[in-house]
Amino acid sequence: MIEDRQTDILILGSGGAGLFAALHVHQANAGLDITVASKGLLGKSGCTRMVQGGYNVALHKGDSVERHFMDTIEGGKWLPNQQLAWTLVTKAIERVQELENEIGCFFDRLPDGTLHGKAFAGQTFDRTVHKGDLTGIEIINRLMEQVWARPIKRLEEYRALALIPDATGKAVAGVLFLDMRSGQFCYVAAKAVLLATGGGPTMYRYHTPSGDKSVDGLAMALRFGLPLRDMEMVQFHPTGVLAGRNTRMTGTIIEEGLRGVGGYLLNGAKERFMFAYDERGERATRDIVSRSMFAEMRAGRTTPQGGLYISMGHLGPENVRRQFKGMVERCADCGFDLAGGLVEVVPTAHYLMGGVVCNVDTSTEVAGLYVAGEDAGGVHGANRLGGNGVANSTVFGGIAGETMSTDIAKGLDRRSKDAQALAAEVARAEMPFARKAGDLNGLRERLLDLMWEDVGIIRDEPGLNRALDALAQLEDELLATGVADSNRAFNLTWSDWLNLRSQIDISKVFAHAALKRENSRGAHFRSDFPDPGDLATSRFTIVRQRDRRLEVSDAPVEFTIVKPGQTLLKGQEAAE
Amino acid sequence: MSDVIAVSIWRGRGEGRYVDYEVPRLDSQTVLDVVTYVQRHLDPTLSYRFACRVGVCGSCAMTVNGRPRWTCRTHVEKVVADGRVEIGPLANLPVVKDLATDMTRFFEKWQQAKGAFTPSKTRHDKVAHIMPASPARVEVDKAIECINCGVCYAACDSVRWNPDYLGPAALNRAWTLVNDERDAGNKARLAAVAAAGGCHSCHTHQSCEQHCPQAINPTASIAGLKQRTLGAYWSGALT
Repeated sequence: MIEDRQTDILILGSGGAGLFAALHVHQANAGLDITVASKGLLGKSGCTRMVQGGYNVALHKGDSVERHFMDTIEGGKWLPNQQLAWTLVTKAIERVQELENEIGCFFDRLPDGTLHGKAFAGQTFDRTVHKGDLTGIEIINRLMEQVWARPIKRLEEYRALALIPDATGKAVAGVLFLDMRSGQFCYVAAKAVLLATGGGPTMYRYHTPSGDKSVDGLAMALRFGLPLRDMEMVQFHPTGVLAGRNTRMTGTIIEEGLRGVGGYLLNGAKERFMFAYDERGERATRDIVSRSMFAEMRAGRTTPQGGLYISMGHLGPENVRRQFKGMVERCADCGFDLAGGLVEVVPTAHYLMGGVVCNVDTSTEVAGLYVAGEDAGGVHGANRLGGNGVANSTVFGGIAGETMSTDIAKGLDRRSKDAQALAAEVARAEMPFARKAGDLNGLRERLLDLMWEDVGIIRDEPGLNRALDALAQLEDELLATGVADSNRAFNLTWSDWLNLRSQIDISKVFAHAALKRENSRGAHFRSDFPDPGDLATSRFTIVRQRDRRLEVSDAPVEFTIVKPGQTLLKGQEAAE
Repeated sequence: MSDVIAVSIWRGRGEGRYVDYEVPRLDSQTVLDVVTYVQRHLDPTLSYRFACRVGVCGSCAMTVNGRPRWTCRTHVEKVVADGRVEIGPLANLPVVKDLATDMTRFFEKWQQAKGAFTPSKTRHDKVAHIMPASPARVEVDKAIECINCGVCYAACDSVRWNPDYLGPAALNRAWTLVNDERDAGNKARLAAVAAAGGCHSCHTHQSCEQHCPQAINPTASIAGLKQRTLGAYWSGALT
């Protein structure tokens, strides 16, 4: 039995992108029926809420959108789609003003009452607007309230399983869901669907994103045949908590600002090591620090649990406690003394720069399907600046809302579904119930290790091929492993199975894209091709699925605004 | 010290019972990790809700040995008593299944308390100048970092006795908006929180303050609202 519903606009995901889209649709046309579906509770699942740093925006005196743009392009190692990046930096100004003036976010101020901009690695101006070190909570709470206050429908704990095509296969007709609480299937037909589920590299041994995430959005897009770009670009954050395999806390972030203010990274012998790798020491950029840490770990100079230490005590435990209250408390809950002692840390998978190929207005090559936030690719190129993540989701989420309502006004309508495709997707989701229950967690553990070892911070061809073989083997084993069909309601073990399937599908894409890029840029490092390659002839990778096979290709980056070697900054500004 | 913990977990919906499990003691183990262990290794049908795993999303609050807590940030060693721990769903909310509750009413009350910002400017205006040391802003800062986890609501006797009472989290949010000089909706907000089930239904038991994992003091926020609504009443603004 599949429950049938319909709506005008169906939004998958309730982070910054999804909620902004809902609000902007409602503003553009309050007559449209809007539905937001979320794998958890509205605004409570996913990663916008977890943002610590803040929101990059060029609205401080002395800053400029050109400067923010150049930082984004250079940070992205010349791979970003420049039209997307330009839209990000220019629209961010209006978006921050909307967040403050209309949504009600209350960002931190300077003593003169204007917005405070904090310094963030890799940027030439202190432009990151924030609320303490819990900026995401402020942004998502305020967005949630505004959505709750409007007649916007919520499907909470509705897990999206598949995008369902119309009869032509070229347009999306609706989405198949699992109503997790009841364990029943539900099909929602819509005129427009926004994919805004957030990415999240949760298939690595150490990862930062919300624990409920499993790249479902990207897996659905891949299966539908959409092109994914830059999928080798997985950002690692240098400092995740290392508390062992038995706690979900392992991998979660220890804030970047700690290194910024002068925190030390120590190896197992309690010696600083970063200066052996980079003259900036601990203050080098995320990719360099992560790679150096990984090299130190591979060399065996590790802590008892196989990681490294962060040490803050030399800055005065009281200062650390005052300045990083949230982090100190979080570590204390784990049993660690961040202010005065040593905390074991490890680089941790943080963000996917890659995603679905899309246009500046968030449309995709599939009619009726739009994409925003971490599910979209091309904004960040080879590396994302801290503070550009929540800017990306809110800027493009809002644009998606406007585009969808405009397209509906122009005649975009509901299409009838391909019933066979729907039935096939239901069967795919029910597959584990026809098999004998097995050790799902053992499969998950193997996935985490193999991705960490062979598709992680330092890659090479033999390792990537080894990973592809291992992923194929894991997929076979998953498809032979079942889940007991005793009670489907709120069945997290069924969810675990579905999560693993999405994660394995997208892990393969990472490995293929990483094999394709035979150079080292930003987050992607090939020890067999350590040079960045010629910037002027930069190409980006594309992976798509056709007839159940992955096709890997690449295409030239179009330097539509600025070419490598050039800058938009003039005279004095450029010299700074 | 025994190498296992005797864990008792609520199973069922409206009707149900506590079921006993034995979970190995492990390093750095949180209550959420104990629950996860049961689901992964002992009973695959156990239902619970979690997301961020670091005290940011407020999805995983449960009743642990009688007290509402975030399970992701509660080290199990801190709560085990005589080698035992009892884990149930949050009180004062309907149970969806096992350890997951239905938070709809909690968020409806947030709206009833007019807990959404009412704009006075638009996205085309500059951001307001607010002095960070101004008394109103200081009041906002004290109460703003609520993550709507429902712990205070589950701990509140007034909610237990009066299901229409808006509860500490919603009223705390209203207090931050009453102190937000950018907000244009405070007349309606004060009326909403002064109505039946509003701030005057608080009995000042201070359970919210004692249990809030963010160290917020909703009782103080509610006291502020009581004073402000009375002031508004006497001045004729609340008619």
